[in-house]
Amino acid sequence: MINDFEALLPRVEKPSRYTGSEMNTNIKTFDQAEVTFAFCFPDTYEVAMSHLGMRILYGILNNLPYALCERVCMPWIDMLNEMKQHNVPLMSLESRTVLKDFDIVGFTLQYEMSYTNILEMLHMGRIPVKSAERGENDPIVVAGGPCAFNPEPLHLFIDAFMIGDGEQVIIELTDVINECKKNNLPRKECLRRLAKLRGVYVPSLYKDEYNEDGTLKSIEPIDDAAPKSVLKCIITDMDHAYVPTDPPVPFQQVVFDRIMLEIMRGCTRGCRFCQAGMLYRPVRERSVEKLVQLAKDSVKNTGYEEISLSSLSSSDYSCLAELSTRLVEELRDQRVSLSLPSLRVDKFVQDTLTQTQKVKKSSLTFAPEAGTQRLRDVINKNVTEDDLVKTLNSAFSNGWNAVKLYFMTGLPTETDEDLLGIAEVAKAAAGAYYSIPKDKRVKGLRITCSASVFVPKPFTPFQWCAQDRPETVREKQQLVRESFYPLRSARFNYHDSALSQLEACFAVGDRRLANVLYRAWELGCFLDGWHEHFRYDLWSQAFDDCGLTIDFYAHRTRNLDELLPWDHIDAGISKSFLKNEFIKATKAETTKDCREGCNGCGLQKIKGVCKQCE
Amino acid sequence: MRMMVVYEKGADLRYIGHLDLLRTLQRALRRSGLPIQYSRGFNPHVNLGFAAPLSVGVVGMREMMEVPLEASVTSQEFIDAMNAVLPRRLQIKACYELPDKFPTLMSLVAGHRYTIEFSKGDDGDRVFAAAPAFMELKEYITVRKTKSGEKPTDIRPFIKSAAYEQVEDEYKIHLETISTAAGSLKPSLWFDCLCEFAGVKPVLCTIYRDAILSLDANGELVPMEELSNA
Repeated sequence: MINDFEALLPRVEKPSRYTGSEMNTNIKTFDQAEVTFAFCFPDTYEVAMSHLGMRILYGILNNLPYALCERVCMPWIDMLNEMKQHNVPLMSLESRTVLKDFDIVGFTLQYEMSYTNILEMLHMGRIPVKSAERGENDPIVVAGGPCAFNPEPLHLFIDAFMIGDGEQVIIELTDVINECKKNNLPRKECLRRLAKLRGVYVPSLYKDEYNEDGTLKSIEPIDDAAPKSVLKCIITDMDHAYVPTDPPVPFQQVVFDRIMLEIMRGCTRGCRFCQAGMLYRPVRERSVEKLVQLAKDSVKNTGYEEISLSSLSSSDYSCLAELSTRLVEELRDQRVSLSLPSLRVDKFVQDTLTQTQKVKKSSLTFAPEAGTQRLRDVINKNVTEDDLVKTLNSAFSNGWNAVKLYFMTGLPTETDEDLLGIAEVAKAAAGAYYSIPKDKRVKGLRITCSASVFVPKPFTPFQWCAQDRPETVREKQQLVRESFYPLRSARFNYHDSALSQLEACFAVGDRRLANVLYRAWELGCFLDGWHEHFRYDLWSQAFDDCGLTIDFYAHRTRNLDELLPWDHIDAGISKSFLKNEFIKATKAETTKDCREGCNGCGLQKIKGVCKQCE
Repeated sequence: MRMMVVYEKGADLRYIGHLDLLRTLQRALRRSGLPIQYSRGFNPHVNLGFAAPLSVGVVGMREMMEVPLEASVTSQEFIDAMNAVLPRRLQIKACYELPDKFPTLMSLVAGHRYTIEFSKGDDGDRVFAAAPAFMELKEYITVRKTKSGEKPTDIRPFIKSAAYEQVEDEYKIHLETISTAAGSLKPSLWFDCLCEFAGVKPVLCTIYRDAILSLDANGELVPMEELSNA
């Protein structure tokens, strides 16, 4: 017999997004577990299945003998409409269990523009969207990931947030909820117990107040179980942390359809716009021995034909040459190719180039981020044009002919000269190519420059900065576009400013934005990250309806003394460090890489965490 | 050596497309530890060949592929190594060592055996009742969408026989189709035509491909795997 859900499948695009049964998902049945966890990714299957964090936490939870974790993704619009029309709820991929029937429903927060999807998924999963409306039989709704560092815009919907590395805290949280369920404790008591865990923030136990000018006056605990400040979780020993060597292997091609070998976590560079570089401190490497073993196990368990090294700055890994040589040797017989993403221009050893080439040539991507040295100093991107040209030279003479260059517009202190500098960088890249004799280079140079719009992010030195208004963004994009006209082999792409504007609002927003989010969702906003579904008009209306403005959140320069909505979250780095970095930025003064000596970012106060400052 | 492999593509996997299935089997072969062959060239991939692609949405009961190997293994070793690493809805049912000169499986396809399953009820009853009369027709012209546009086709020559069965609250039609150089017929199209003939909207059904057929020495349509013993 064909059930309701299956009857929908022939009507939608890519039905295999919804059918599960992939390799390595042969897990225990629902009734074998004491406690059940729905891992929800608030985006489509292709995006979800590319996410390393999901692979890690899915593995950790399913390795607990008493727990079960299943995956839930946001359906695409066609499926969503069919489900609504036929009254079919949102279910997990594995056992097709409705969201509301899990004990814990956990969302990963990777991107601000996925927030409305969370509301939609809760609603479709038959769970009251607002925490306050949930009853004793509803699941505990939790969330983690980088955006959890400013949890406030989601405070109405999420019962508890996990801040920082999730590997350990997700087990502790699951255990507490399991314990409360066994003892039939009320929901409120369960949340109080969760609040006592390191790295867990329960927003309903805090109260916010505002000044007359709309800025935050205070946000304070109103329950003795809630700490005044919530310190993030940190995994210190990466060699003993869990690595998923047998993750689900999707049938259909997903965005990152390969083994992602996390060689280290954190980054020592200190780029001032980069939230990940601040949040994932300190840098923690895995050993070569461990990584080679993990790679072999992963190939054996997945059959993937490609491995990428994953980290914020892979070329900073201290034994990169040794690691890539070993990996190429070990995996050559199985025709597994190795690709090295997010390479930094100033450290791209020719050795490594030759190594990767042995198996397969992958595309080259560099991120100079800004067009002039002055602005690169402002953002502390310690890379010179000279570095770039040298690196490209060696790449082009080794058979590459295509390069992608990433930039940002709207960075603090930016001038027209900086914007025009983007085309200059592209010219320099072309120069590096043409300096190689014709018979020694591969024909058909392609340079693609992409510029995103700067978005201020919490826990960065630029958290106080305003984003450019849309009209300024458009003028700047036009200026850069025109400067590319004379360039034959270079293309310039740029991002939509409206989407970045809302991203800024929700990145640095306060609790009041939760109402805007709710209203936007009521008006029909979701899948906002997908351009074809982004409805700026509805978002504007939502802000209007709530008596708030986009301007206040996205385009306002904050006072350095202003209380910020995330000041009660402790990311390890101190506010005084960030302030000092901001002041240095305005003077175009750089800060050294912390491997060259401790910069005193604040992590030193947590004992035994950072090797660089000991 | 070369293996003729029979596998099942279960109901849960019927929406997995041809290329996705190929990649999944290649990954399973890579995991299996079997002495597989890689293609030469810039992007080496695991060698294997399908007898006939399966339409998305159709369940494959006894699908066929051939796998060349660098060294000799027994059928049982092959089955065990693969089933340990394949998803549980994609399993090897049988495998046979092929003689060197055995043609490619794709060149041997002469027809297919399908079962179309649908529920009893108003529309289902009418479709089931109309089927024998539909089979009596000498021709049935329908518009087929192909890559080069829409063209009218007579579907009747592609059908060899139909048999009917009722099981509890379901109907089953067993269909044998013929593939020629001119092409083959999707069972879903045949069923849509039958619904049209019965005067109802397309009825929701589940289609199974029960066997891929070849011509034996006597010119009879038989399941392809039987040729491996000949």
